This record gives sequence, C-alpha cells and structure tokens, in this order.
Amino acid sequence: MAEVHLIGQIVGASGFPRSSLFCKWGIHTGGAWKLLSGLREGQTQVDHPQLGDVAYWCHPIDVHFATKGLQGWPKLHVQVWHQDPFGRRELYGYGFCHAPSSPGWHALACVTWLPRGSWPERLSQLFVGGGPQLLNSDLIYTGADRYRLQTTAAGTVHLELGVLLRHFARYGVEC
Amino acid sequence: MAAAAAAAPTVFLLMVNGQIESAQFPQFDDLYCKYCFVYGHDWAPTTGLEEGISQITSKNRDAQQALVWNFPIDITFKSTNPSGWPQIVVSVYGPDLFGNDVVRGYGAVHVPFTPGSHRRTIPMFVPESTSKLQKITSWLMGRHPEFTDPKVVAQGEGREVTTVRSQGFVTISFNVVTKDMKKLGYDVSPSDMQNPSIVSLTDGIHNH
Repeated sequence: MAEVHLIGQIVGASGFPRSSLFCKWGIHTGGAWKLLSGLREGQTQVDHPQLGDVAYWCHPIDVHFATKGLQGWPKLHVQVWHQDPFGRRELYGYGFCHAPSSPGWHALACVTWLPRGSWPERLSQLFVGGGPQLLNSDLIYTGADRYRLQTTAAGTVHLELGVLLRHFARYGVEC
Repeated sequence: MAAAAAAAPTVFLLMVNGQIESAQFPQFDDLYCKYCFVYGHDWAPTTGLEEGISQITSKNRDAQQALVWNFPIDITFKSTNPSGWPQIVVSVYGPDLFGNDVVRGYGAVHVPFTPGSHRRTIPMFVPESTSKLQKITSWLMGRHPEFTDPKVVAQGEGREVTTVRSQGFVTISFNVVTKDMKKLGYDVSPSDMQNPSIVSLTDGIHNH
C-alpha cells in the first residue's frame, strides 16, 4: 500500500473584515484511504493580532494515510469564525483545497466564501450579526448541490503543507 | 569484497543545522529566546543539543529595529516513520515595566524535510486572558499568562479554548540533510525541478 504524509501548519488568515479569528478544519478522503496516525480534524486558537491584521494560528497538521487508490485524494476544508469580545461566534467563511499531489513543501492560499442571505437577512446581519450557515457541511468540499447557493467572497486562509509520499514509484505512479 | 548484499535500512536519519537568526518585535526590547525540539514517538535524537537558551539582545539605534541572536542549532534525529516529524518550538522572553521576566511569544515550525537550505519566518504569539480585569491585574502583578510547558505550542489538541495575541516574528534558517529516506521508499521532492515561485505568507516580513 502506498502512504502519504501531510506535515505542515495552518499558518493564518488574511483579508477578513475583523481579525479576532479562529478556524475549524478537517481533512476528507475517499473510501480507499485509511488514516494511520494523526488527527484529521481540529480547531485552532483564537488570535488577536497586534501587528497588522493578519491572524496567525500556526496550527500543526501531521497526518499519515495509507491508500490503495488515487481516487479521493485528501481535501482540507476550513471554516473561519470570528469571536467578538463578548464570546459570541460568527461564521466568516468556508473554503477547501486539495492537498498537493507532488512531494515537497507547498505554500497554499485557500480562498473562502460566505453564504449570502436575502436582503432582509443582510440588513439584520448588519445590525445584529449572525447570518446563514450551511446545514450540511459536506457542501464545502463537494460540488453536488452548489447551484442553489448564492455566496459572497471572503478572505484567504494560508497553509504551509509538506507532502511526503512513499512507495508511489513502486506502483508506477508519477508525481 | 564481501558478497553479502547490504541489508535494507529500517531507520532514516535527519540532520539539521542552522540558526535562530533574528526577531522582530516592534513593541519590546531586550529579549532572549529558548528553543526545544518536539517530536513523535518514533523519533529519537542521536547527537546534538535538544534545547538551548540564547543571549539577551537589544535593538540597534538605526531604523532596522531587528533583534539579532545568531544562535546556532545543530541536531541529528533517527526515525522509522515520518509521523511526528520534529518541530522546533521557540519561546521569547523579555523584561516588563517592573523588571520581571515575562514571555513575549511562542512559535513553532516543522523542520523542513527537503534537503537543502531553507528559511522560515514564524509568527510569535502569547496566550491572553479574555477578561479585562484579569489583564489589568496581571499587568500590575507582573504575572502574565504563559503555557506551563512550551511544547504545547507544537500540538494541535486543546487549542480551541485558548485565546492568543500575535505580536512578533522570528526568522530561522535551516540546512537539512537526510539519509536513507529514498531507500525506504520516501519521495520528498517532485520528479521535475523544484518550483521556485513559492511565496510564504510571512515572506514580506523580514526586511533583510
């Protein structure tokens, strides 16, 4: 069986309207993949940046997969949330990106989007906060029912991921 | 010459040397740093120092405002499994208004795994209390929140309940050499030439 190691960090996020942010992340893989060690989901700390407005998390990722096939290559999905001084949490963006398929160190910028409500919902969101959220978070990384959604662009999540492959050459796979 | 074939290796080696070059903390001065390595169960250091404490440095009067340590790192690990790849955890300390030693930042980064020279600029953050009263009392008493064990910074569990404040950057340079990773079947770089156009989020930070 071939093995894949994803070793790196969720570095931080930029381009969001406010900067007291945290991120819930997860890695989704297809049926042929088995997680051997590491955590496949987690939540970062909340960061209040003092210099500039980029929120830095430096959340480590160290997962080890074994696989029998190339389908279902790992996808990393993120949800960026904002925590205000009262402790309330508000969604600021959804995003996903595939884990890189060539070995080595990669700096990834994962773009995010926010579901957009109708204009009465947007008006109340301006005053009270909150906003529509996805009922089924699978939609973050699949394209199946996306045509029903209307969204706006949100900021970018920055990741640095190193990819280590084992025995791929043995099966004739070129990466 | 011996006719016996060489036995297949089961262990690979990772040799890292380099330095903690400098830091940028616009609000603080007179800082020193400590580093330590955090690694998984399958890893063991064979030679070199796992931890160290640097000198105390202060900013020059010129416009650069960098704090330079130039502090050497030299360690070799052996392992059977890339899981738990070593991370270097850096903690920076300095005096507060009343002269107590308080922590100014924690940061961690994985040791790069492609052989060659690498430079990383890592953001440094301190834990922060969420209540304003707690912040005032800690400023008066000189006891700011800190992690009981800096190695917590290298782990992902338990972070969802912490609030932190990022307030500086540290630049570290590494030279990495590995042995027997190819023989064990690991690919660490792509088949074609390495992509030179990778830009990290913190690349614009260092000004030298």
